[in-house]
Amino acid sequence: MIEFTLNGQTVRTDDDPSTPLLWVVRDTFKLKGSKFGCGAGLCGACTMHIDNAAMRTCLMPISAVAGRQVTTIEGLGTLDNMHPLQTAWVEASVPQCGYCQSGQIMAAAALLKNNPSPTEADVDAAMSGNICRCGCYGRIKGTILNVAQQSLAHNAAQEQKA
Amino acid sequence: MSTLNMSRRQFLKTTGILGGGLVIGFSMTGCSSNELPIRLAPQGFVPNAFLQITPDNGIRFYCPRDEMGQGVTTGLGTLIGEELDVHPKNMEILFAGVHSDYKNPDFGVQGTGGSSSLKAHYLQLRQVGANTRGLLVAAAAQDLGVAAGAISTHDGHIVVAGKRYPYGQFVQTAATLEAPTEAPLKSNAEFRYIGQAFARVDAAAKSTGTAEFGIDIDIPNMHHAVVRRSPVAGAKLKSVDKTAALSMPGVTDVIEISSGVAVVAEKYWQAKTAAAKLAPVWAEVALSQVNSSDIRADYHQAMQQDEGVVDTDEGDIEAGLATADHIVEAEYWAPFLAHAPLEPMNAVVRIENGEADVWSGTQGIVAAQGLVSRFSGIPLEKVRAHNTYLDGAFGRRGTLTHVIEATEVAVASNKPIHLLWSREDDIQNGVYRPASLMKIKAGVKNDGSITAWQAKRVGGNITPKTLQNMMPALFPGLNDGTIDFMVGLSRDVFAGWMVDHASVEGLYEDYDTDNKTVNHVTVEHDIPLTFWRSVGHSYTSFAKEGITDELAEKAGMDPVAFRLRNTQGNPRLNNVIRVAQQHMLAMQPAEGRFLGFAAHHSFATDVAEIAEVSVVDKTIRVHKVTCIVDCGIAVNPDIVRAQMEGSVMFGLTAALYGDLELAQGAFQQSNFHDYPILKMHEAPQVEVIIIDSGTAPTGVGEPGLPPIAPAVASAVYQATGQRLRSLPLKIA
Repeated sequence: MIEFTLNGQTVRTDDDPSTPLLWVVRDTFKLKGSKFGCGAGLCGACTMHIDNAAMRTCLMPISAVAGRQVTTIEGLGTLDNMHPLQTAWVEASVPQCGYCQSGQIMAAAALLKNNPSPTEADVDAAMSGNICRCGCYGRIKGTILNVAQQSLAHNAAQEQKA
Repeated sequence: MSTLNMSRRQFLKTTGILGGGLVIGFSMTGCSSNELPIRLAPQGFVPNAFLQITPDNGIRFYCPRDEMGQGVTTGLGTLIGEELDVHPKNMEILFAGVHSDYKNPDFGVQGTGGSSSLKAHYLQLRQVGANTRGLLVAAAAQDLGVAAGAISTHDGHIVVAGKRYPYGQFVQTAATLEAPTEAPLKSNAEFRYIGQAFARVDAAAKSTGTAEFGIDIDIPNMHHAVVRRSPVAGAKLKSVDKTAALSMPGVTDVIEISSGVAVVAEKYWQAKTAAAKLAPVWAEVALSQVNSSDIRADYHQAMQQDEGVVDTDEGDIEAGLATADHIVEAEYWAPFLAHAPLEPMNAVVRIENGEADVWSGTQGIVAAQGLVSRFSGIPLEKVRAHNTYLDGAFGRRGTLTHVIEATEVAVASNKPIHLLWSREDDIQNGVYRPASLMKIKAGVKNDGSITAWQAKRVGGNITPKTLQNMMPALFPGLNDGTIDFMVGLSRDVFAGWMVDHASVEGLYEDYDTDNKTVNHVTVEHDIPLTFWRSVGHSYTSFAKEGITDELAEKAGMDPVAFRLRNTQGNPRLNNVIRVAQQHMLAMQPAEGRFLGFAAHHSFATDVAEIAEVSVVDKTIRVHKVTCIVDCGIAVNPDIVRAQMEGSVMFGLTAALYGDLELAQGAFQQSNFHDYPILKMHEAPQVEVIIIDSGTAPTGVGEPGLPPIAPAVASAVYQATGQRLRSLPLKIA
């Protein structure tokens, strides 16, 4: 029995400890937003946050997440309460087929959490493990940089008020 | 599920659709039911196959085409919404089930592809929208006691003297009236939504992980299946020891099926782990002896020795060559390619009480219905087929082997089955873009006129293989022998009598010359082939544009000016090139960067692209691409831009990396480490310029792809002096 935190809730599973986190989340906990693309940590469609870091979960056994905090796209934001990146994603019509976008957004969210004012090179480095077969890269990059800028401006305005 | 009975006649009466071929076309399955696959809401009003309006003003649009990222839900929603006067964002857009009214007017089959959707449905869905609006106006006139002429409409509302009434208020009356059949359509100047760049309607679902793809379907008691297939296409299972897999946790069945051996387990990872324990033995087939080098040698031999079949013969090619001041002749190569859409193939099939359900993201859900019926023996009308969102697909999801597999496993195991391929399965057991060897010999005069264009292509044809895949699906009643006979017939016809046009499209059409010939030699190696984004154009553009650069150089002309001079017969392409030339003249590439140019007409759309490229240490880097497109009216300009951006990236992956190597009949690449896809840090900035147009829409999903490889090759020539004639591009 392995216990971890999934989107803020404690969960337990008796899935085999070698089962990759992605499949436990999808098949056991029925959260389908995280996707399977390569099964080899090469495409990033399965990206989740583990203790705030963006991780590929298609290979990571659940034994490695025992006691840790796992956040999926479902825990980042919802249709009614979107994360700023998700709102910006919609406004810029970033997705085409959309299959990779959960992974893209999770990678981007981890980047901005750890580096609120990334350069273009920072974005390239953080996102280079996420494949988009539809080729939405320009919009993904532009949207991340815009959100970072807006949130910096927002924070500056808040500070000025205070 | 409650369904609605509506006879074809009634449908025609209520919608009065334009264009005879549209719904009067024959039913390919021969037994399409007239029951619309629409779940009726309480008091829902269904004026036609495409719409349901509820009293609380819910407006549902049953989108007849498949959403694979090309934005078809937004695009078709815009067409029907324009005339109905409802913003697409205020509709609930659902994927239509199987019904003959949902056929693609361009194909006569319920399928999505060929960059056809907006073009094919442009007048049809607008007319449906206009007729329905007319009906609601008539109902409102009756209910409100005003003249129809006093009524206007705005975004789902009847408006009378400034007061707004939701459409839903009038559906009960509307149901008693007869709809107009030819309600007038808006002029372009009256468009409210067409031509506006609003956000795609599916963006929110796709940004929150809530868009449901085929892989996400989860039904009670669902078991998971993983299949081991031969690494060589067409090789059957000889033997397999099932013991090791059967003893693994969660495994319930190990079943031999037509494509190999399937392991069924309670969870996917259990099935996957257990399948790895199997050591199936495969029969040998002719392909088992074939290596990549054999294919290239066979193609070269055919190019030299075999005249092939004539596709085009205009003017006098020898006379044309004789009058040339310069002759250029070169061979171009393009390899086999996998589509590698990011969602691996999958299907869910449930068979219960003599009925079946199938869920899969497809480019033709009617084919999934047909395959389930054929391989389960359940009559077509008892198979409910549910489409879902699908990944980019790119032509891959027209071949539904995975639906056959899921059906066979569901029948044999007596369980609802979720069957999923791995990435390795996708790359090694797929259906492929055919490899091509192309040769063009062309003559040019010093004044820049092309005197002769002699083209030849060697390779496999996609049509027989596509028939082989599609016929069992579209004609579930036909027996295997008949299908084999027809597939064989088409293979023979295309090998010896006429050219499969998809094999040579784009190789010769764009530039003016009086003398041209196109020959084709079919050489097959039993590798499954199919459509791949932009089909024949994906490789012919590379040869056609490459040789055009060489002709320009011989004539001493600028390559863009040369193309302008030689597109007098193609005024729209000429205009796109002219606009591109203006942009190119204003560009000042940085030191070490070079501009390459290419243009191509495909899917009735004209595109020119300018690639800004550097070559450092034999590495080709594409920094910026400027894309000029004329696709008629851009129904949603932002989606047109997105499709051009995406096509450039897809084409660049092929131009820079795409290659598959065959050893003893098996493709050697397996995943994204050895079949790489362009990543963000390699992606160029793409600027899209859309030519303002008032004419009906033409293709958008594919035409952005063909120019990119030759544009980059052209820039590489500027940078290095090397003419690269083989894909992927590699600096010597």
